Amino acid sequence: MTTGIELRDLRKRYEGHGSAGSWAVDGVDMQIGRGQFVTLLGPSGCGKTTTLRMIAGFEVPTSGQILRDGVDITDQPVTDREMRMVFQDFALFPNMTVAENVAFGLKTRRMKGRFGAAEVRRRVGEYLDLVHLGTHADKRPHQLSGGQKQRVSLARALITDPDVVLFDEPLGSLDAHLRKVMQIELIRLHRELNKTFIYVTHDQDEAMAMSDAIAVMNGGKVQQFGTPREIYDRPTSRYVAGFIGHAHIVEATVAESGASGLSVRLGNGEVVRLDAPADLQRGEAVGLMLRAEDLSLAKPGEGELHGQVSDSLYRGEYVEYVVDLKGGAGTVHVHEPTHAAPFAHGADVALKVNPAKAHVVGGA
Amino acid sequence: MRAFGNRPFVLSLASLVLFFLYAPLLVIVIFSFNDSSYTGLPFNGFTLHWYGDLLSNRQIMGSIWNSVYVAVGVVILSVVFGLPAAIALDRYEFPGKGIFRRIVMLPIVLPGIITGVALLSFYLTLNLKLSLHTIMLGQGTALMCITITEVFARLQQMGKSQTEAAVNLGANDWEVFRHVTLPGVKSSLFGAMLISFSISFDEIAVTFLLTGRENTLPMTLWSLLRREVTPEVNAAATLIIAVSVVLIVIGMYASRGKGAAGSEGR
Repeated sequence: MTTGIELRDLRKRYEGHGSAGSWAVDGVDMQIGRGQFVTLLGPSGCGKTTTLRMIAGFEVPTSGQILRDGVDITDQPVTDREMRMVFQDFALFPNMTVAENVAFGLKTRRMKGRFGAAEVRRRVGEYLDLVHLGTHADKRPHQLSGGQKQRVSLARALITDPDVVLFDEPLGSLDAHLRKVMQIELIRLHRELNKTFIYVTHDQDEAMAMSDAIAVMNGGKVQQFGTPREIYDRPTSRYVAGFIGHAHIVEATVAESGASGLSVRLGNGEVVRLDAPADLQRGEAVGLMLRAEDLSLAKPGEGELHGQVSDSLYRGEYVEYVVDLKGGAGTVHVHEPTHAAPFAHGADVALKVNPAKAHVVGGA
Repeated sequence: MRAFGNRPFVLSLASLVLFFLYAPLLVIVIFSFNDSSYTGLPFNGFTLHWYGDLLSNRQIMGSIWNSVYVAVGVVILSVVFGLPAAIALDRYEFPGKGIFRRIVMLPIVLPGIITGVALLSFYLTLNLKLSLHTIMLGQGTALMCITITEVFARLQQMGKSQTEAAVNLGANDWEVFRHVTLPGVKSSLFGAMLISFSISFDEIAVTFLLTGRENTLPMTLWSLLRREVTPEVNAAATLIIAVSVVLIVIGMYASRGKGAAGSEGR
C-alpha cells in the first residue's frame, strides 16, 4: 500500500475573544493509502471537518504537515492541489445548468483550453451517465431533488479525474432512504474509479458500511484508526467502544491474565472468561464491553452472568431485552431471535457471553 | 382561520391609510390633465397642454437631465465602491472590520442636512468648486451604504460553499467573481441600484448645500412651488410617478428572481 496522504502532527487553533481559544485539531497523525476509502468519524466539534478542510487547503494548519505522495503540500494553494471536494450543501452554481455545473472544472483558465468544446460535451455526458443523470443535463439545480443535486456535485468533482476526492458529510442533508441508496452508489464509484476517498461523517453506520479504514475522532484527536472490523470488535478505549455500535460497558477487575486468555470479575463477583489474551495485571480495573449481539439469554444457572429482565422491545428483526445485572453490576442489552420463547418482564435470567467477542477496554 | 381583529375596523383603518397616502398623488395626476391654469376645481376638461409646456420649459427639462445625470453617477459610484466593499466585508478579516460595517451606515442614519454641511465644509476646505459633480460625490458617499448592505446580506445568505467549490475546481479570483459571486448577488445589486437611483433623484438636503449653478429637478420644483403650484409642476410630478411605478415593477420582478435563486441554497 503506497501512502497517498500523510498527516503529521497536524494542529489547528481558533483564536477566540480575548485570551480564549481552542484547538479544533490537536495533533493528528495519519497515513492514508492511495485508493483507500478512509472516513473521519466523530461527533460535531471533534475536528473531523477542520482536518478535511486543511487537507483541501481551505484552512491553514497552525502547525504540522500535510504530505501527498511524500511531498509537503502544507502551503500549497487550494487551486494547485487538484483534490475535489463534495459539500454537504451541494454547493451547486444555481445560475448554471446541470451540464454547465459539471463542466465547470474543465473550463477554468488553468486548464488552458486543454478540453475542446466537443471533448467537454463528451466528458459531461460520460460523467452524468456515471451518476445516472444523463437525461437531466439541461435542468437547473433548483429543479432537482436532494439526491440528484448531490449526484451532480459528485460528477462535477470527478470529471477532472482527481486522485483524491474529499467528502464533507455529503449525505447529511438527505433522508434516511436516500442516504442508503447513495452509500451504495459511493461504494460503487470508489470501486470503479480507484481514487482515494476521504470522507467525513458523524454517522457510524455510514462509516462502517463504506470505509476501508475509519479514524474515530474526539476532542481534536484521533482516538483510534483502523478497519471497521478492528474498530468495532477491538476498540482501544471506552470512548470508541461507546461511540461505535451499541456497546454497554460494565465495570470489572482482572481476575486472571495469561497466554490462554483472560478472566474478569464483575462488581457482583461473577466472572467472565475471554478468549483474547491481554497485557493486563491481576486486579487492574477495566471496562468489559458487552454488545447486544454477543450475548444470549438462558435459564438461570445456564450462563456465567445473572440478572433480571427490566424491559423488552420488539424490533421486528429481533427482540431487544434490557437486563439489569445481579447486584447492580450494570445494565446490558441482549438481542434474541424473534422465534425464541419470550422472557417475561421481571424474569430471572442467565446470560451467556460469547468469549470470542467479549472485549475489555483499559482504564477506569 | 380567524380574521385579524375587528374586520370592518381594520378595513376602514387600512382604507384611511391608503387614502391619505395615495389621494394626494391622484390629485396631482388629475390636475396635470386639467384644462385650467390654476391647480384646483372645477375640472374644465382634459388637455395635454401642460405636458407640452413642460417639454418646452428649458428650466425644468434641464433640471430633469441634471437629476438623471447625478443619479446615474451616484449609481455608478455606489456599484464601483459598494460591490467590492461588500465582498471584502463578506470574505476577508481585516482590522477594524466591525467598526467599518457599522460606520458605513452612518450617512443614511444621520439627518441629510448634517451630511450636507459636513460635505460642504469638507469641499470648501479642499477648494472644490461646487457643481453637479460635488452633488454626485456627496450623494454617492451617502448612498453607497445601500449597495454595501444589500449585497453583503445576500453574500451572507449565499454562504461560502459555492465560492469554495469554484476555487476547489480550479477557478481563479476573476472566474469566481464572474461565475459565482456576480450571478449570486445580481438581483440584490440591481435592487440596490434602483433604490440608490430613486433616492438620489429626489434628494434635497444634501443637494441643496452642495449644488453649484446648475440645479436638479427637486430643487427646481421647490423654487417654482414657492410662487405657486403650476400645472407644469403637476405634469412633471405625474411623469416622475409614472417612471417610479415602472421602476418599482422592475424591482419587484427582479426580487422575485432573487427568491427563486435563494431557494436553491439547500
